[in-house]
Amino acid sequence: MSTVPLTHILFVSTALFFIGMYGLFTRRNMITMLMSVELILNSVNINFVAFNKYLYPQKADGIFFTIFIITIAAAEAAVAIAIIINLYRTHKSIDVDDATELKW
Amino acid sequence: MSALTILLDANVNSSANYFQIGIQLLVAIGIVIVMMVASHLLGPKRSTSEKLENFASGIESHGNARAPMAIKYFLVAILFVLFDVEVIFFYPYAVNFKELGWTGFWEVLLFVAFFLVGFIYIIKKKALQWED
Amino acid sequence: MNAIITSAVCGVIMMFSSVFVENKKTYRHIAAVLLLLLLAVNVADTYGIRLFHIDTKGMLLFDRFGYFFNSIAIASTLIYVVLTGRDIEKVGTYTAEYFVLIFFVLCGVTILSSYNTLLMLFLGIEILSIPLYILTGADKRNLKSNEAALKYFLMGSFSTGIMLMGITLIYGATGTFDIYVTPKETITGQPAIVYSLLESAGLILMMISIGFKVSAAPFHFWTPDVYDGSPGVFTSFMATIVKAAGFIAFIKLFDARADASGVEANAFTGVDWKMLFAILIVSTLLIGNITAVFQQSVKRMMAYSSIAQAGFMLFALFSLNDVAKEGLLLYAAAYSLASIGIFAIMVKMKDHTFEGYNGLSKTQPVLAATNTIFLLSLAGIPLTAGFFAKYYMLASVMKTSGYLWLVIVGVVFAAVSVYYYFRVIQAMYFKDGEATITEEVSKGFKVGIIVLAGLIILFGILPQSLLQWFYF
Repeated sequence: MSTVPLTHILFVSTALFFIGMYGLFTRRNMITMLMSVELILNSVNINFVAFNKYLYPQKADGIFFTIFIITIAAAEAAVAIAIIINLYRTHKSIDVDDATELKW
Repeated sequence: MSALTILLDANVNSSANYFQIGIQLLVAIGIVIVMMVASHLLGPKRSTSEKLENFASGIESHGNARAPMAIKYFLVAILFVLFDVEVIFFYPYAVNFKELGWTGFWEVLLFVAFFLVGFIYIIKKKALQWED
Repeated sequence: MNAIITSAVCGVIMMFSSVFVENKKTYRHIAAVLLLLLLAVNVADTYGIRLFHIDTKGMLLFDRFGYFFNSIAIASTLIYVVLTGRDIEKVGTYTAEYFVLIFFVLCGVTILSSYNTLLMLFLGIEILSIPLYILTGADKRNLKSNEAALKYFLMGSFSTGIMLMGITLIYGATGTFDIYVTPKETITGQPAIVYSLLESAGLILMMISIGFKVSAAPFHFWTPDVYDGSPGVFTSFMATIVKAAGFIAFIKLFDARADASGVEANAFTGVDWKMLFAILIVSTLLIGNITAVFQQSVKRMMAYSSIAQAGFMLFALFSLNDVAKEGLLLYAAAYSLASIGIFAIMVKMKDHTFEGYNGLSKTQPVLAATNTIFLLSLAGIPLTAGFFAKYYMLASVMKTSGYLWLVIVGVVFAAVSVYYYFRVIQAMYFKDGEATITEEVSKGFKVGIIVLAGLIILFGILPQSLLQWFYF
């Protein structure tokens, strides 16, 4: 049976990883930045599933790792949204450039 | 096919493998375009003030959707996401629960117990209470 | 195992004490008792008394190194809670929850000291970081605290993403998450170049990501802002115990992996780890020490000094021998204890700039004297624990031939660090001023801080007293 080669899937996941990284560095809206982080995590998920299916199909290790990543991502998102709401209430803005109390 | 050749095979002529995916993409985009164009062409255009209002599942709408919401909604939404995602751990158990036997059962019960502790905590902290 | 489960359960107990105990003052007493229990349980585990018999299927591996580090971390946390518990109460309204989060961080620390698979490393790091994001933003009304939390979160989750990418690449190379399995064992009879390339790339990504967590330059830029913005008491916790735990995770991973993926083992795809770590060390020492010299606030100076100290702890990663592992434990203990002391005094001060310390020796002689001991220990002056910690680090590098220049760089920067630590001492003793304290210092605090200073001098005179426990 002919299948999609692993390299193509790795290409997609790597592209997604860098799209996420690009978004994290260029976007100034905190929610968009949070979404970029999620993109990075999801690209890693694709990577895990692809490696598991193509290279080591006898054990489902990689797939279990994705489950852990998904739950941790949810926990991170919850904390992030709490932080963003809190900042919005004191700051009235969710633009990172407005958060200049501490200089980089 | 050995593992290594899959990894190294860059020159596989594999455009045919993407045929199904391409068809699916075309169909998905096609349906959207056809629906939008068709409803635009075929539908009658009688706009009344009721029709131009935001649709809120039949309930009378309460003005603009971008009005600030009470923080309670966010809290409940965040808690929902947390508890919802944890259910993912039941899938591997559900697939293997016969092989895992009683030990697996006790372990899942422990997991649920930890869950329940968190749930009791948020109830005790009155995070789910709507009326102050 | 005892410590992991007990710390999680302690966190849950604290959670419910926040519901059922009305009096805010009792929380820190409960936390101190629970920490004492945790310490006892971990020491029992060290001597073979297991409370839980769980088959971890090779996920966790418990050894003396891990147990010993757990004891150091828990004991430092105990000292931290005893000394600054009163200040934790002042941060906000959710006192009990802060202690809950501290217990959960400790759970992450205990996982990091005993992980054997990359999955557990990831979980440990996340269990450690997520409560810290909340603790950073604990001062809800304070804009600086909120911003620090946001920056910490963004940088933390970014480094998590990099680490996960590294883990996938290593998984692709080995097919397992076990840290002791290298590609050569799994792939036999095939040209394994692709696999060892994947492995090397993955390990470099892991190095970058843990470098973020321990704030090694050039991945340090979040540190000063976050340490400056977050409430002082939690900066203390973040800069000491958590950073030390990051180093333990770091050294465990590279102890298992570095040899097999180094240039000696694999000339074509191997990575020159020694060189990479040397670059990391020099840049960390340079940035940490030089920037610390120009700071006006003691809190920010301590943030840069923690970067500089991270540079010294990186020496252990460089040499990766037995002396390095011992030295890292000693360094973790010396650095944590001294920094906890300095921060405990700092949060009592009204003004956190150097001028705020002017004339402290007149108003509060005990605080000034103990603060001097802590600062001397951080600077690595003989007769304090910091001296032997630095000595062990440099000695471990001496064992690796051909890197004498690195030792010299280390000594030079240790000398530079003396300058900014002595600025505080100078302000306290030789400048006139009214160093004001926010509230009257209690007798218990004074006793605690004198005991802490005594411990540092004890380890400075007899470093073996701490380390020999490690051997038997």
